Amino acid sequence: MKKYLKNITLGKILVYVFLILGAIIMIFPFYWMITGAFKTSMEIIAFPPKWLPSSFKFDNFIIAFQKAPFAKYFMNSVIAMVGSVSICTFTTIVGAFAFSKLKFPGKHIIFGAMMGLMMIPFEMIVITNFRTIIDIKIYNTIWALIIPFTSSVFYMYILKGFFDSIPDSLYQAARVDGCSNWKYLWRVMVPIAKPSLVTIVLLNAIASWNSFLWPTLAIIDKDLKTLPFGLYAFVSEGGAKTELMMAASTIVVVPMIILFIFARKQIVNGVARGGLKG
Amino acid sequence: MSDVAKKQKKSHFSWGKFKNKSEWLIYLFPFAIGVIIFTLYPIVNVFMISFKEGFDYISKDFTAWGLGNYLYVLKDPYFIQALKNTFSYVFIVIPVSTCLAVVIATLLNQKIKFSGLFQTAYFLPMVTSTIAIGFAWRFMFNYKSGIINYLLSLIGVNAIDWLQNATYNFTALCVYGIWAILPFTIILLLSGLQNIDPMYYTAAKVDGAGPLRIFFRVTIPLLAPTIFLVIMVNTISCFKVFNELFPLFQGPGIANNLFTVVYYIYYQFRVLIPSRYGYASAAAVMLFLIIFVFTMFQRFVEKKLKN
Amino acid sequence: MKVTIQNLTKQFATVTAVNDFSAVIESGELIALLGPSGCGKSTMLNMISGILPVTEGKIFFDEEDVTDLTPEKRGVGLVFQNYALYPHMTVLENICFPLEIKKVKKEERIARAKEMAKLVHVDMLLDRKPSQLSGGQQQRVAIARALVKQPRILLLDEPLSNLDARLRIEMREEIRRIQQETGVTTVFVTHDQEEAMSISDHIVLMKDGFLQQMARPQELYDEPANCFVADFLGTPPINKTYGVVRNGAIVLDGGCEVKTSLVKDIEEGHEVILSMRAESLIIDEEEQACLGTIDEVYVMGKEILAYVTLGNTKVRAYIPAERHFEKGQTVKIGLRNRGVFVFDKETGERLA
Repeated sequence: MKKYLKNITLGKILVYVFLILGAIIMIFPFYWMITGAFKTSMEIIAFPPKWLPSSFKFDNFIIAFQKAPFAKYFMNSVIAMVGSVSICTFTTIVGAFAFSKLKFPGKHIIFGAMMGLMMIPFEMIVITNFRTIIDIKIYNTIWALIIPFTSSVFYMYILKGFFDSIPDSLYQAARVDGCSNWKYLWRVMVPIAKPSLVTIVLLNAIASWNSFLWPTLAIIDKDLKTLPFGLYAFVSEGGAKTELMMAASTIVVVPMIILFIFARKQIVNGVARGGLKG
Repeated sequence: MSDVAKKQKKSHFSWGKFKNKSEWLIYLFPFAIGVIIFTLYPIVNVFMISFKEGFDYISKDFTAWGLGNYLYVLKDPYFIQALKNTFSYVFIVIPVSTCLAVVIATLLNQKIKFSGLFQTAYFLPMVTSTIAIGFAWRFMFNYKSGIINYLLSLIGVNAIDWLQNATYNFTALCVYGIWAILPFTIILLLSGLQNIDPMYYTAAKVDGAGPLRIFFRVTIPLLAPTIFLVIMVNTISCFKVFNELFPLFQGPGIANNLFTVVYYIYYQFRVLIPSRYGYASAAAVMLFLIIFVFTMFQRFVEKKLKN
Repeated sequence: MKVTIQNLTKQFATVTAVNDFSAVIESGELIALLGPSGCGKSTMLNMISGILPVTEGKIFFDEEDVTDLTPEKRGVGLVFQNYALYPHMTVLENICFPLEIKKVKKEERIARAKEMAKLVHVDMLLDRKPSQLSGGQQQRVAIARALVKQPRILLLDEPLSNLDARLRIEMREEIRRIQQETGVTTVFVTHDQEEAMSISDHIVLMKDGFLQQMARPQELYDEPANCFVADFLGTPPINKTYGVVRNGAIVLDGGCEVKTSLVKDIEEGHEVILSMRAESLIIDEEEQACLGTIDEVYVMGKEILAYVTLGNTKVRAYIPAERHFEKGQTVKIGLRNRGVFVFDKETGERLA
């Protein structure tokens, strides 16, 4: 019995050691980035490297903000994110409702075709979309970061799955009371689907915030760049010093870290559900 | 029926029927318009362009229909290299990340303290910008003052030029890729593990199986469908490796040695001037075909597993 | 409100769920739509509510033809089998919702909802969410929500099937009470004959989309129109024996001869079903109809249930508790006038 107990604790300790080691590797880049953002230009090239900066002064951040309009980038990212996510959420809700509860000819065939569209890599369609935004004259405007992302087959698919799980008798009960589809959708379906909607909004917001390829195609103006693009331009064009690079990177990453800490469960559940459905 | 009654009935019916029968259009319209313009049309268009030889994107003129773009791309050393790199990347990142993730997910699935903290640590890379955190890795990979070379020096390894040397930069790319893909992989596997009925573990324990035996004989087989799914989903996403190249190498490596398929598409229609949309489209269609084959294979195996 | 149903037919792709159905539901009555599963009773209910369009026929509410009206224009209150309460709304909000759609002023709708909650005894649960309620409470809220807009007719789809046995009896009496207090014409669907018998004014019995019989519960029990009706009602199920009319008696399969005046108008040689309720068989009766053999005896408290073999068929009969019979004993059996029916073997139609 004693030996058995001893095995358990030894096993447990090994589990913890392994997990802690892994966790350190996973968050080390974040640690290194954030501490790097506070290091002086001497400290940052020191070898062996310094584990901690000598002081936590915001000098690097101030210089970064002076050298490139990060506040502007930040605002652009926020506008693009809020714009595309709010419109996309709306179209997702009404679209999912149509596919889930309304009857129309060819519904199942159209839905099946939509599922096929989910396979299409984004990289394949940017070639045309790049030309389309020029044709509709939104190239190099903030709209170019919003309009192409106003509907998403993937999020519609997730939400439709949830809408399908709401019993039809609720719909019939409301219809018998004279409730219009529109009112039913917003007064009954949407409140019930809130957890799913929160997940969709979060995933969409993260994707929008971090998007890189599309902004580099759609935007030229310095003042219209979003954070990841602005950050990349700042580093590659200016040949920025490492400590400034770390400070600028920190600015991009911190909002998402905060978001993740507060909404970890919803994000993780959403990823699991979306991913498992393929 | 009097005329008035007829009229009333008629008008009542036409409006009511229209509203009822066409309401779906109103709901579908905002969603469909975006999908049609920015997903459906581009796909059709890319297929079309890929068969148009000598296509000019401005005038939309082309010289002939044919397979010329494909023939060019398939002979282009950059594309061949891109295919080689992409496949190598998949064959390194997928096995390593899957094995690591299975172990970590299994441990995270135990009853452990601070599981919230552990989850935050393991999942954080998923929500952060590839570019920003890629710069952190660039700093860590630094030849002279990088922490990685420092740690290696502690065990007697000479400094390696991870980023500027064509022999090593692919390794750096893979390390970063594995690190970046782990969170997603762990989440899926963890959720797969949580769907396994604990009675199987209890049964195995009652039969006297140790932790390792349980892992290999109970956990892994029951998790197999999820592992398979994860491999498929990750394979598809690894085929699209692209963003990572920018923060680490500011492009496709030293002397273009790190071309990937998506970078090749980007290169043909964005880096080169004038752009070569025909070649980019042909490459994009080929990327799609690769992904399509994998998706079909995945569906096929899933159906088999279900029966 | 009176409901008149004329030649109603509902055709789904290949199945005819309701076939040429005609009936009149009198104002203020509680009607049970009874039948085995798949008999078309729920389809019937959904056509009255307007959820399902009809294939043929007409429905009138009083004198108004509502056949082509949408549910909300008919003014029906509907209670679903799974109650269909909105999970994100409180009890009060649930009851208010139909009034909100009708754009009733806020104060008025809350007042009316509270009044209705009082009627169904959920007035102390107004702030709870449906998930915090028991099945019976959810049922009450669903009824309140259906009634709050003062519908012309209240429709309940299998209202008791999701409740456990004891609650079921309580709730069916509650439904009766609420119906009588409000006086609303009510139709409820059930497959449980006991439920239908115990609370309804009239029972509409259906099978395979056809109306079998519409009558008061006792009448349905005492005067079934056909063999199916007789079979469907009563616990234990009616004894069903097969035979041929010979010499003013029925000769059952296996040779047992049953003397009964019921056959006087039936032609010689007609193949019939003789159905007898367990309480209509009297054992060891002087006025003997036939002979039988006691097969098994179960003591059930106030009476004894005996299995008796007539010819080659086993039938059930009740014996007063003070009498004693041995297994295998041959007894004389008499028949009461009530609860004994003769049906045509082919068509199942009542002959006597």
